[in-house]
Parts: sequence; C-alpha cells; structure tokens
Amino acid sequence: MALQDYLRDMEGCSRCSSCKWVPFNQVKSWRFAKNCPSVTRHNLHAFSGSGKMIMGLSMVSGRSELNDTVTEIIYRCQLCGACDTACKVYRDDIDLMDVLLALRAHCVEQGQLIPEHMLTIDALKREDNVFGEPKARRGDWAEGLDVKDAVGEKPQVLFHAGCRYSYDPDLRETVRGAVRLLRSAGVDLGIAGADEACCGGRAFELGYQGESENFADDMVSRVKATGASVLVTACSDCYAAFNYLYPRMGKELGVELYHITQYLEKLAGEGRLRLRQRVPKLVTWHDPCHLGRKSEPFTGEWKGDKLLRPVTMKRTGKKGVYDAPRNVLKSIPGIELVEMERIKGYAWCCGAGGGVLEAFPEFAAWTAAERIEEALATGAEALVTSCPWCLRIFRDAVEETGALLEVYDLTELALVSAGEGVLAGGAAR
Amino acid sequence: MAGKKGSKSGLREALAGLVGPDAVSDSREELEVYAGAGEMPALVVRPSEAAQVAELVRLANREKLNLVPVSSGPPHIHGGSWPLKGSVIVDLSGMRRILRTDRRNKVALIEPGVTFGQLQEAVEPLGLRVLKPLMPRANKSVIASALEREPITIPKYHWDMNDPLLCTEVVFGSGEVFRTGSAAGPGTLEQQWAEGHAQKNPLGPAQSDLVRVVQGAQGTMGVVTWATVKLEVKPQARRIYFLRESDLGKLIDFSYRVLRPKQTDEHLILNRWALACMLSEGAEEAARLAEKQAPYTLIYTLSGYEYFPQERVAYLEEDVGRAAQVSGVVPEREIPGVPLQRVWEMLDRPCSGRYWKERVRGGWREIFFITTLDRVPRMMEVMGEVLKRHAWPREEVGVYIQPMQLGRNCHLEYGLFFDPEDADAAAKAEGLCREAAADLADAGAFFSRPYGGWAEVAYSRCPDTVKALRMVKDMLDPGGVMNRGKLCFQEVG
Amino acid sequence: MSVEEARREFVELLGEENVSWEPAVLDCYAWQPTFNDDPDRWVKRPVAVVLPSSTEEVQEVVRICNRHGLRFKSFSTGWGAWNGPTFDNVVQVDLRRMDRIVEIDAKNMYAVIEPYVNGAQLQAEAMKVGLNTHIIGAGPNCSPLASATSGWGVGHDSIYMSYSARNLLGVEWVLPDGEVLRLGTLGSSGEWFNGDGPGPSLRGIMRGSCGALSGLGIFTRCALKLYNWPGPPEMEIDGIMLDAKMEVPENIGYYMCFFPDRKAFSDAMYKLGEAEIAYNALATSFGGYFDILTPRLFRKIEHADSIRSMIVNTFKYTLAILFAANSARELAYQEKVLHAIVREHGGFAMDVTRIKDFFSMLFMSFVRATIPALVFRMGGSFSTALDRNDALDSQAAWREVVREIKEGYIRKGQILDDLADNPYFVPYENNTWCHCEVVYQYDPRDPKHREALEPIFLDVTIAAIERCMEPLFTSDPRVRRLISPLAGNFSKYQQAISRGLDPKQAADNTLYSAEADFDFSGIDPQRVRRLQEVVEQRRW
Ligand SMILES: Cc1cc2nc3c(=O)[nH]c(=O)nc-3n(C[C@H](O)[C@H](O)[C@@H](O)COP(=O)(O)OP(=O)(O)OC[C@H]3O[C@@H](n4cnc5c(N)ncnc54)[C@H](O)[C@@H]3O)c2cc1C
Ligand code: SF4
Ligand code: SF4
Repeated sequence: MALQDYLRDMEGCSRCSSCKWVPFNQVKSWRFAKNCPSVTRHNLHAFSGSGKMIMGLSMVSGRSELNDTVTEIIYRCQLCGACDTACKVYRDDIDLMDVLLALRAHCVEQGQLIPEHMLTIDALKREDNVFGEPKARRGDWAEGLDVKDAVGEKPQVLFHAGCRYSYDPDLRETVRGAVRLLRSAGVDLGIAGADEACCGGRAFELGYQGESENFADDMVSRVKATGASVLVTACSDCYAAFNYLYPRMGKELGVELYHITQYLEKLAGEGRLRLRQRVPKLVTWHDPCHLGRKSEPFTGEWKGDKLLRPVTMKRTGKKGVYDAPRNVLKSIPGIELVEMERIKGYAWCCGAGGGVLEAFPEFAAWTAAERIEEALATGAEALVTSCPWCLRIFRDAVEETGALLEVYDLTELALVSAGEGVLAGGAAR
Repeated sequence: MAGKKGSKSGLREALAGLVGPDAVSDSREELEVYAGAGEMPALVVRPSEAAQVAELVRLANREKLNLVPVSSGPPHIHGGSWPLKGSVIVDLSGMRRILRTDRRNKVALIEPGVTFGQLQEAVEPLGLRVLKPLMPRANKSVIASALEREPITIPKYHWDMNDPLLCTEVVFGSGEVFRTGSAAGPGTLEQQWAEGHAQKNPLGPAQSDLVRVVQGAQGTMGVVTWATVKLEVKPQARRIYFLRESDLGKLIDFSYRVLRPKQTDEHLILNRWALACMLSEGAEEAARLAEKQAPYTLIYTLSGYEYFPQERVAYLEEDVGRAAQVSGVVPEREIPGVPLQRVWEMLDRPCSGRYWKERVRGGWREIFFITTLDRVPRMMEVMGEVLKRHAWPREEVGVYIQPMQLGRNCHLEYGLFFDPEDADAAAKAEGLCREAAADLADAGAFFSRPYGGWAEVAYSRCPDTVKALRMVKDMLDPGGVMNRGKLCFQEVG
Repeated sequence: MSVEEARREFVELLGEENVSWEPAVLDCYAWQPTFNDDPDRWVKRPVAVVLPSSTEEVQEVVRICNRHGLRFKSFSTGWGAWNGPTFDNVVQVDLRRMDRIVEIDAKNMYAVIEPYVNGAQLQAEAMKVGLNTHIIGAGPNCSPLASATSGWGVGHDSIYMSYSARNLLGVEWVLPDGEVLRLGTLGSSGEWFNGDGPGPSLRGIMRGSCGALSGLGIFTRCALKLYNWPGPPEMEIDGIMLDAKMEVPENIGYYMCFFPDRKAFSDAMYKLGEAEIAYNALATSFGGYFDILTPRLFRKIEHADSIRSMIVNTFKYTLAILFAANSARELAYQEKVLHAIVREHGGFAMDVTRIKDFFSMLFMSFVRATIPALVFRMGGSFSTALDRNDALDSQAAWREVVREIKEGYIRKGQILDDLADNPYFVPYENNTWCHCEVVYQYDPRDPKHREALEPIFLDVTIAAIERCMEPLFTSDPRVRRLISPLAGNFSKYQQAISRGLDPKQAADNTLYSAEADFDFSGIDPQRVRRLQEVVEQRRW
C-alpha cells in the first residue's frame, strides 16, 4: 500500500508519545524507560514513530515536501518496531510499523535514496547478498562440515544461514557451531551453499519492496526444490522475513519454519539434544527485534475501518518468539538468567537494523552501547542473543567501550553444554 | 470631604460616614494597643461588614492613607500589624459572624474576627473540629492565623502551605473586591450553595491563585472580609502518647516513620522548657515542672472516627508501637507532674485568659522559621552557639517543632522569656534574636513569615523574589495604601 | 523581527542537531489533534523548534526570542492542542533533553525533577524507596512537572495524593524575559523543601486551578511532594496492559463497589472520605469501563435500547477503591470499614483481588494510571465536560447534567454512544473537595461529529455557568472573556501578571491572557439567548 493509503493511521495519531516509552506498566526505572533509539538519540519529535507518521501526514496533505533532511530522519530509524508495540497498547487503528515501511517505499519511489543503501541494493542485485561478496563463496563457511547439499541430497531440514553468517568471518565459528550442534542431535541437515540467497527482508525494510519480492520468490522456489520439510534459520532477520513478510507478500514457503532457538527447544524437548555440561554463567538475554515483535505472524489485511478490526488481526508484538530461547537457556545447567528491564515485545534494539548500520554506523553503535549498559546493569557476565546482526554489533560495542561483558550466541552456549565445544575468548570453539 | 481634605478631623468624619461614628476612634488609649513596638496610628476604624471594608480601601486610595488591617485582639505580637505613624488601623475583630457551617462538607464560612474558641463552640456540636495552631491566644482570629500560615498541630491535615484556608473574599489594595477558590463565581454564595457547592476548592479562579499572595502578606495586599476554612471530623476515640527522650534524633526518626503513612493525628515535639511553660501559670511553676520532664517530649495522638473508632486506635497503636520500637523510643501514656486533662486542653483549646507566652514572665521574644526535621539538629547547634555567645541560659529557651505538610518540613520555634521591666534582658533577647535569625538563615533556616526585622534577613537572600513581589504589590495595591513599610515593600508607595 | 538571525543564534547556542526549521519537522509540532475542536486539527506551525538541555540554555533561548521579537511556547511531552503555537512567530521549545530526576529526598518525601521526566519513571524510582508520586488521569506518559507547574492535575490517586498544583515545593522558573525566579526556599538557600514565601507566595501568580500553559515562562525544575507507598518496591508484572498477569501484593486491597442510586453513592462517598481509608478512588460507570475495554462490542450494542438501559441502570454508580495498607491489621480495618459503609448504603462490594485476572488487568491502570489513553479506542478521539471542582454533591449533580446533554447528541448520532454516563469522578484529599468531568467520544473523521463539537462545548459551558461552575477550559480566550466578569474579573489580573513578568510579550500567552468573542454564527439563536440569560443570572 502506498503512503497515501495510510492516511487514517497517520491522522489517528493523538500525539500521546507512548511510542517513545516502554509500555508503562513495564517501566521499572528512570534509566531504561525509553524504547525508541531514534528519538532517544536525536530528540526532535520527528524522529519518533509518531513524528515520522506526522511527517508522512504533512507530506500527503501537501504541507511539506520530501527532501534530504526528511529522508534522513525517516532512515535514522532501526525499524525496530518498539514504537509500534507501545502504540498498540492503546490503539487499534494505527499500524505504525506499516507507515514507517510505507514511508521508506515512498522515499525510494520518489528517488530519495540513501547512498549506502544503494550500495546494498546493488550488492544484492549483483551477488544476492547484502555485502556484495561473491555469490559463489556463499557456502564457504560450511567447508568441511558434515551437512548435505540441500539441492540434490534432499535433507529433511534445510538450514538457512543468511547473509551475515555466510560472509562474516568473525562469526564463522558461531554458525559452524550451530550446524555441529544440530548434527550432534542427529538432524538430517542440508544447506543450499552457493545457491542460498538473501531472504529479501533487508531490501523490503530499505524501501525496495519490489526487489524484496524477487528474493522471496527465489527463496520459495529454492525451498521447494530441496524437498525439505523443515526450514531452520539461525538468523532472526531471515526468520522475520519468512514468518511475517512472506505471508504478507502472499508467498508460501510450504515448510515447517523454525528459528534455531525454537528448533533447539524442540530437540531438547524430544530428548535429542542433551544439554548436560555445566556452563556456570550469569547471563542476560537480548530479544532481537526480528525474533521478537517483528516476527509475529502476518494476520491478514483488514480493509475496513481499523477501529472495528478484530483484535485477533492486530499485531501487538506479543506473539514473537520469546519463550523458546529462554527455555533453552534455562535448560543449560549452570546458567542463571537475569532479565534486563526492556525485554520481549518492548526490548531495546541492538542498533543494527533498518539499514542504520550501513548508513549511520555511529548511531548504530550508540544504540548498541545503550543496550550493553542495560545488560551490565543486571550484573550479568554475558549477554546472549540469537541473531548474527545483534551479535556482531554487540561484540563491536563491547570492544569499543571496553565493557566487561561477554557476548554469545545462544547456540554457542548450547554447543558447550552439549559437550561439543569450549568457551574461549568470548566465543565458542 | 470638600474643604477638609488631609485634616485628621476631616478624615475621621469621612470614615465615620462609612462605618458609623462609633466605629472610628482616635483615642490615644485605644490606639496604643495597636502600636505594639511600632509607631502611633492616627485612627482606628472598626467596620462591621465587608462592603464597608471595600469603601474604606477606596477612600484610602483617594486620600493616600495607610491602612493596617488587624483581625485578632491584642496583644499584636509578631509585628505584622505594627503600624507606621499616622496609619489607619482597620480592626476587623468586630466582624465575628460565622456565616455558615456545613457538617456534610466540613466547612465554615467565617468573618475575620471569629476566634478559635468561638468557632470550636459552633462546630463541635456538629461533630467537627477546628484545625488550629498550638495554644493560640484567646482572641486570635482564625482567618488571621490562616493568613499568616501558622502551622496546625495535625500534620496529616496540612497537605499544602495554605491549609486550612480554602476560599476567601478579599478587598485588594486597589479597592477591588475579589473572591478566590471555588467561591470566585459564577454565582453568589447563595446560588452556589443551592447548586451543592460549599466553597471548598482553594484553587483559582482560573489560572492564578491570588489567595496565595494575600496569605503571608501581613495585610500588604488587601483585606480578607470572609473565608471558608476546612474542618475535620471530631474523633470518637482518641488516645494520647508521649515519647520522653534526651536524644532528639530518635524522635525525628520516629516522626518520619509515622508521619509518612499518616498514622498520627496531633504530632509535635517540645523541649522541657516549652512544655513546662505551656502547662503552667508562670516561670516558677514552669521551672518546677520542667525539672520533671525529659529534655524533649514528642506528643502524639491516635484517633478513630465514625466507623469502629476503637479498632482504628487499636491497630494504629500496634503499628505505631512497632515504629517506636525501631526508633528506640517507648510510648508512654502520661507525663510527670501534669494531669492528662491539662495536656488535652493544651492540644484542643486556645489559651484561656492570658496568652501562654505572656504568662511565663510577661515579656518574650521568639524566633521561628521553616526547616526539615533532619535539619533540626543542625539548627539546634547554630542556635546553641548564639545562646552561648549571649550567655542566655539554654535550659530557659523553649523549643517547639511542628511537622508540616505531612512531615515534609517543619516549623521550628524558639522562645525566650523575660521580665518586661528588665530592660537589659529585653535588649539582650532582642539582640540575640536578631543575630540568631541571621545565623540560622545562613544555615538554611527559611523565614517564610518574615515579621519585622526578619524581613531584611529573609529578603536580602532572594532579590528575584523581591522583584516579583513588588510587581504583585503594584498590581494589587497600586496606590500603596496597604500596611506600608512591611516585608520588602519599603520603597513602594 | 528576524527569524533568520534568531535561527542562527539558536544553532550557535544549541548546535545544529538541536534546532530545526525544516517544514515537515515543524509540522510534528503543529499536528495537535487532541482537545482540538478545529476540524483541521493542525495548529500554527512554529518558526523553529529548539531543544535546550539546561536552565541556562532555556534562559538564552528566551532572550533570543525577546531580542528578535519572537514568541516562545514550551512543553514537556506536548500532548494536547494547548501545546501548540497560537501566533505566527513562535519558537517551540521542546524540553525533552531536560529529563533528569535531580534528587529524591526520601526522608522529606519529595523529588526534584526536570520537565521531561514522566510519571512512570518517577513512580518507578519513588517506589524503590517506599514512596509514590501523584500521576494525573491522562496517564504516566505525562510530565509531573508540566502538570504541577503548567497544566491541570487530577488523577485517580487524588484522594491520597492531591492535585498536582498542590504538590509543589521549590520551583525554578525562567521568566519570559529570561531571568530566573526561584520560589520558596530555593530562592533563599538553594534548598527545595518549601515553595511559599518569604511572605506572599509567588505560587499564587504562577498558576491557579489551571496553569499558564507556557504563557508565563518556562519551568525548568521543581520539587514535587511524594507520598507513602507501602506496596512492593518493584512490581512483578508479566504483560504490557490488559494482558497483565501478577500476584496481589501484600496489604493491597481492591474493590469495585456498586450503589443503587445517586444519593446512596454520594452519602457513601462522604463517609469514605471521612474514614480516611482510600489510597485510590475513582468513580465511574460501566459505560466508562466498557468503551475502553470492549469498544467494538460497545459500538455494536449502540442504540440497542433494552441492553443499553439494563447496563446503564444496573451499574451506574460504580466506585473502584484501592487500599495500600501499612500492615495487615490496617488492611483488615480498611476493608471492614468499606464493607460497613457499602452495606449501610444499600450497595455491594466486589473483592477484585479474588478475581486475579481482573485484578492484574486493572491494578496498574489504577496505581500508574496506565489506562486512560485507551479512551481513543472507541472513536479515535474524545473530549470532556470539565468544570470547576467543589463539594462532592455539586459534582454528582454535574454528572447528571452532562449525561442529559450527551443523550441528546447520542440520539442524533452526533457523538458515539458510550451510554452517555461516562464520568471521571475523583475526590481530592479525603474528599476535601471533588472532581467530576464527563467524557464524550467522537470520531474526528466523521463530519457529523465534527460539526457537533462546538454546540456541545457551548451547551456544556451554559450548563456550567448555570451550575455556578467556572468552565475549566477558561484557558480558551472566548471562555475567559465570558466568565471573567462573573468571577472577579480574573482576566484583568492575569493580564497584569503577564505584562509584569513579560514586558516584551515574548511568551505565547493566548491561552493565558487573551480574550476573544464566541463566533455565534451558525449557532441556534435560542442557545445564544440562553447563554446570555445565565450570564446575567450568575453575577455577584
Ligand atoms: C487525553 C488527555 C487526558 C487528560 N487527562 C487529564 C487528567 O486526567 N487530569 C489532568 O490533570 N489533566 C489531564 N489532561 C491534561 C494534562 O494535564 C496536560 O495535558 C498536561 O499537563 C499533562 O502533562 P504533559 O507532560 O502532557 O504536559 P505538556 O503537554 O508538555 O504541557 C501541558 C501544558 O503546559 C505547558 N508546559 C509544559 N511544560 C512546561 C514547562 N516546563 N514550562 C512551561 N510550560 C510548560 C505546555 O505548553 C502546555 O500548554 C489530559 C490531557 C490529555 C491529552
Ligand atoms: S503512541 Fe501512537 S498515537 Fe501515541 S503518539 Fe505515538 S504514534 Fe501517535
Ligand atoms: S522503529 Fe524503532 S527506531 Fe524507528 S521510530 Fe520506531 S522505535 Fe524508533
């Protein structure tokens, strides 16, 4: 839908500013009460979810025009969705996240492009990944691993690594560990290797919705081609794309879909994954936006007056994946979980999303540093998450700030507990 | 007024025209009562109704008079109403009608001359009680006390500094009549009553709270001609307790614990001299009584109201008892040498006969200000230093600590008593108090009611406040006819 | 007037990222649809927005405005049309960078805060030390400083925690000429513990029942009274609102009471006030609950007369009352008194703590006032018949008056059907006085609803004057002109205060000191006559 089509959402905004705060009954301190990185960092109302909507309203009402300044404000936003969750505590008739997406599509349509994002899109077009790394080397990360070639060897489970796990050398051990973990549980696993491509989620969020659709089509046909009945991804971004975005675009993957944390929970439940080694650590869990509120399933499109839309069709952020990773963590002997103040549907973003890492790296780093502080405030030794984008930016932030905090992917801890690895230098080997 | 403008007899005539000849006097004897330590006024007028007051103020504007409103009977002790030479005293103590009492809404509408005793007599049969300062003198005006922001003895009913004052009618120095709070209008009082109103909302009208600038103004802004005051229900069960302690810190700790959850009704701390003086007829008896007292006594009461009054007192006794235990103090049910009845009277009644401060030795000086309970020990140190410097016997200084605003701050009062015939003692007390005020202010004491010489102490510290206050004064009393020379308005008018 | 020059100076002062005059960015301050009867819902666009971070910067911003003939309008959170500019040359001062809790003095029960601390933040921190802050009914998104210094100030907890204006101690106030005025002890010793004096209290010119709405300068810090909180220091809740799940904390009691008629309700309320037992008390109707909890269902039963009258009449006089006791003994006593009073007045009391899910859903909506913004659910917007508070009896009568006015509009389909009786009824300070406003719901996108807003406003104003009440929206220049002569010409004093503190008239003070005439064209002449009549009848 075009920006214009969201007029009622936009003019529904009462300007209550709830979208700048953690839902109020969960405000636990002065320090960690804010939820929106964009307006917390930049302060002008325009940077909030509400502000972006009002800018949209102003433009569609012919009161102002899209220009570089406005474009930059629209894109200085992780699209983390915290504003959407907070607004929906009160409102049934505003889909704030949809408006933010429509604003970006509007920018692209109007030719208001962010140079760094153009590079990403070029890279995607050229090499099917957001980094512009050679397509042919996409499967290199799995070299020597005991996995099937999904295209041809018909695994039961297709493992989708995603762009960052495929190419980020610093995270290579992590994703390899994830695969080893699954294999150790006897999962019949395959990867698409060089045939894997971007899920298309990033393109969608940058406003290139058409591009995104191509990748979705590509993914759907690849999954079909493998004959796998289960799709597991270790990347939260990809998971949100598969679980929410694809159905929204009308694309059916036709397989059972799991984020790796969900799959580990299932394996552990079935007794196939045995987490027995003690990992004595006080940890805190970071809910990736794309695993949490943004992965909430698509509920169909409501055509009429949203004030009358059934609540079941309202995305509230409550149906994200929150319990699975916590359950896995709790099942690891020795792990003690302390929660941060901002969790689940109202978690603070890592900072990397929405194209911010590419276009405004210092803002991304600031956002991550804020989360690191929150993690430290719990007294935890380690911050655990399950998304390569979060992992990467947190590790960089810890290095940058010198914070005394280890950062792990959940699979790393599980790997150690399963007796398949050891923790060394803040990562599992 | 033609032909006689400016002459005293002309003025007298004009005033008599407004209030009747019997209500104007220039008898020296009568005027002396008002002079206090100030100068001799020219005349006293005794209006009997609000409309006369407005006329009087308008006349004052035309004739450039200086009006000094007085509501209580003598002696006029704080200096707020000590006149400049030639002033016209507006004595409102004759306006003593209780215009309305309302049991359901717990409120009385009264004129400025109504005294505490009078009001108590009127409302107690209704099952209500008057919120009052500790042992006011018999002829103290309820409205004057509220306008002076005198602290009341039940901190839990002192929500904000203007309590228990609610709505007022005031004649500003400009001669204009104004009503504050929900009395402001629309509608006459009668119309408002017919619609179920009771003049209980102290705020407004609209976007200012002009009653707050009339309060604390010592009559420099205008004259209040009637007001509503908040009343509370008379307890059906009531018990009194005493904490007798040498360690003031423990009493302060206890106070914080029980004031916060609004457990106590009356709640105040007295040192042995203040307690003894309040409960005796003179210095000698006081000295005997003081010997029996602990250095400090905290007096509190627990109350039960209409529903299960005894049960309320009983559970509070346990809860407060626990707080006492934690603070390391032991509640007792009596104090030595005094029948309990006397203490109840002290809490409940205005002074009968002579004002208690006067009873001690005839003359006295006092110094009081606002601080917080936890700052009291520091203030005691500062005061102790001053007393030492002036060789004033410490044990003969009364100390009264009255928590206010639910315990968020407190009124701290020192009393020095002397024989008025003893010029040395009087001068010494005077000098001591002057010095103490400055030292205490340096230590953070807040002279919220800056009478007489304290005005200099208080206002020299807040030039921005002074500037704003003068603006307000210009607005409400442009002719400068109200009680000249007071507060920070020396140059005004 | 040099806007360009001023903008340059702002940038110099605050840095580029804290100043903007980008039209779309400015429109984020011009979109003020709440409590905005203008169908357009945009207010004037400011000429710049600035984000100062300290008192000194605020002073400098104000001085720049004075120098360049600009006006300023500040806000803390900026919810409601009263936050927007009313002149063409207004600089919007967004105070969100001033967001610190400067101090909590737990012993003396106050907190010193800056403008952009919200109610939820302050409450969370206060509770950690056994204290609580008054939160206005609008919700915890609002700034306690804004309500106390500049807005209104009623909340569900007013029975225990009073009215925002009465909770002030020391105040730091940047006057419209850029000078700082510090009220009470703050001005004398830098301490915060008292706000009045020496001598006359300048709180009296700072605000009244309503604040100056930025028309008298900018408040940069204030000390606010905190109150006892015997509940848990941190609340353990799962869920974000109506889905909340929690255990009933120790010594907390929560009841819904129902009374058979207005007299029984009012009598019981007087008794409850005198018993001094409540921590939180809000009387409303089932219409009040259901339009926010089940708005869709509600719209379906619109005009279904039998269901409607059943609900209206059965649950009309509902009181929610919360106890936060200091001991089990105290709670037992409070509950016993409640039962006695309710019984005596023919009502019944439902112990909500026994219905855990219901308790969980409503607890924070009372303690933190998290629920009110749900009022937008039914029609997308609402307004309220808000009038001067006084004795409870007068407020109970007001409720009926507005219900009747609303019924007419509901029948004609000009506002939504919330059962008409939708009061926000709250006693202050153990019912020393009492508040009742009556909410009405509308859909701002529906032209029929939009057209009705002005007539309703007028009807409510007439009714208020008739009932000897000052309409609380006297911030509206038209109401000011109408009411001021009936209430001591207060407008004249406000204008004098404005001139005195603001010689160059740099504050955007329309909502404080301007007067205007009603535009009666299009309003039926009978109504206009009635207005003139009641005005004449209500002079003193
Ligand atoms: C939906 C809704 C419901 C409401 N319900 C209630 C209610 O139940 N009880 C109640 O009391 N009020 C209610 N209000 C009104 C409310 O009091 C005001 O909106 C406001 O005071 C709330 O605080 P805020 O942080 O939103 O203030 P803001 O919106 O920031 O400001 C309110 C006003 O004060 C001015 N202002 C703010 N901060 C400053 C400052 N630092 N210096 C100078 N001026 C300043 C602003 O210009 C504005 O005019 C409601 C408002 C809305 C929109
Ligand atoms: S929470 Fe929703 S309605 Fe409120 S300001 Fe934000 S976008 Fe607007
Ligand atoms: S998506 Fe996230 S960063 Fe963007 S406006 Fe909403 S809360 Fe802020």
